[in-house]
Amino acid sequence: MSPEIFYQTIINGLFTGGIYALVSIGLTLIYGVLIIVNFAHGEFLMLGIYVAFWAFTIFGTDPYLAIPIAVLLIGGMGALIQRGLIQRVLDAHPLNQIVLLVGVSTLLIGLVQFFFSAEPRSIHVPYETEVITLFGLRMSIPRLIAFFASMLISLSLFLFLRYTRTGKAIRAVSQSREAAQLMGINVKYIYMLTFGIGTAITAVAGVLLAPNHRMIPTMGQAYSVIAFVVVVLGTMGNFVGAFIGGLIIGIVETFAGFFLGGDVKIIASMLIFILILLFRPSGLFGRKRS
Amino acid sequence: MSAEATNNITKRPSRSLWHTLFGDWDRTQITVSVILVVLMAIAPFFIDSPYFLGIIILAALYAFIGISWNIVAGFTGQLLIAHIIFLALGGYTTIVLLNVYRISPWVGIFIGGIVAALAGIVIALITLRYGLKLDYFALFTIALLVALRTLFLKWDFVGGAVGMYLRLANPSTAKMIFDTKPPYLYIALGLLVIGIVIQYLVYNSKMGKYFMAIREDEAAASALGVNTSRYKTLSVIIGAGLAGIGGGFYVMYVTFIDPTGLFNLGVNVEIVMAGPIIGGLGSLAGPILGALVNKPIAELIRGFLAGERSGITLIVYGLFLVTSIMFMPRGLAGVFQTLYMKIKRPSRDDV
Repeated sequence: MSPEIFYQTIINGLFTGGIYALVSIGLTLIYGVLIIVNFAHGEFLMLGIYVAFWAFTIFGTDPYLAIPIAVLLIGGMGALIQRGLIQRVLDAHPLNQIVLLVGVSTLLIGLVQFFFSAEPRSIHVPYETEVITLFGLRMSIPRLIAFFASMLISLSLFLFLRYTRTGKAIRAVSQSREAAQLMGINVKYIYMLTFGIGTAITAVAGVLLAPNHRMIPTMGQAYSVIAFVVVVLGTMGNFVGAFIGGLIIGIVETFAGFFLGGDVKIIASMLIFILILLFRPSGLFGRKRS
Repeated sequence: MSAEATNNITKRPSRSLWHTLFGDWDRTQITVSVILVVLMAIAPFFIDSPYFLGIIILAALYAFIGISWNIVAGFTGQLLIAHIIFLALGGYTTIVLLNVYRISPWVGIFIGGIVAALAGIVIALITLRYGLKLDYFALFTIALLVALRTLFLKWDFVGGAVGMYLRLANPSTAKMIFDTKPPYLYIALGLLVIGIVIQYLVYNSKMGKYFMAIREDEAAASALGVNTSRYKTLSVIIGAGLAGIGGGFYVMYVTFIDPTGLFNLGVNVEIVMAGPIIGGLGSLAGPILGALVNKPIAELIRGFLAGERSGITLIVYGLFLVTSIMFMPRGLAGVFQTLYMKIKRPSRDDV
């Protein structure tokens, strides 16, 4: 592997990892606050990419302009799903929670398949194959945009959680539900808001993929699995962990794809996942479990 | 008390038959299960259509597979989400044994069960060794499913992405290949009866009580001296073994297997999860009730609605799961149990 190919692979891995980071931040945020693994997570990415498709084919808008629509539509939908369904099983047996979310995931896939059919779709924008070359490294424009947008969104969300009143309330709830409640924080509202934010940024990740990604209704499942890997790697509930974990898995997967071939690269992530689960389930940034 | 006893003695003998069959909720569930099995068994005398018989065969098989998941997830409360792994392993074993080694499926499906049970032991031991519980365990099984799918897609010995087809020979009982539906139905019902018996034996044993203690509160069960690791492993072994046998028969019936068709979370919802969830996870009759609702409705939708628009089946399955969890978390069996208690109470008072 020559240095050029090495650096090129790193860049490609980072671009893939940026999207993974965004999706995983959504998942880890939801887990950290609601203590529930969103088994329907990838479906919100899938909804995002279909929102971009829908906006592009019906209104002819640039896919990136679909970002605000996706945030409002899919994030709002996530918030409603949380308030209407998930809120009511938060104290139920974990199996019920998982079955409910698997049901939501199945339902969402079915709805998209019903309205858009199971046929693969894609959209074509003028800049989809454009490439810029920097220091001898080739970068596809849509993937570059997606990467920087992911970084920007992650950073903004980080700052939001760190410095705003609402962000502090979210972190307070994730530290202690009871204490937060006693301090006068509306925990139910925070739950709904968190699920809404988590699903909204995942939908944005979907929109960012739209310009050069084939879409099918079941594509979300692969992203769910990737997000599980990343979130466990970066410690469940840890924001920075999910961000770094996303980039790591993106790079690992791209290298695995280079050496093993595209259709087996998932094995590398699964191997990491299983090893992390077995030997350090608390992840890279967690304390060792007793 | 004594008045009640005397009254019971003076009652007609039919009273005791009634008591044997419907005396308490567990008996009622077994009686209902037996009635449903009998109804399915006599179906070929009234139904000629291979299409409808096919639905009954798969309903019986789904009930059997539902029982296998019920023992792990329903009794012990383990989040073994990707249970279909065991089905696939049993199916692959059976078809490899038949196609490559010429071993009759009558033996093969049970070897498939053993292979699946061994896989269950490995999974249970690994996850217990490293203390994976709840969500982490669920994620582990999903990761395993994805990893196995990728491996099987690349494994040429088992046909890779194309999968394996049954070498269709002339109908032969020794090879479990028939040209009519009823033989398949009776094999499926035979398995179902085995499943019902095993499930009942487990439920009524000390082991079953430990399973349920683990489901209710694992820490408390452990504190009271239940060897939780051993009993969690046992429940996975039983569930996996039965699922492997079910997978073996499934492959013989549908005559082919491929990695994307079975190492598939959507199919997992349809074949494994939907039935017990609708019917009532953790109950005795739940998997059968659920399968008899699940399979016919799914087929009806496929036949009459899904022709033009795909996705309807998924929508219905999604709604099944969501509405079951939201409105009847104990499934149909739970609904019937409430009714049963309401009917039963007054009759006890008037004795």
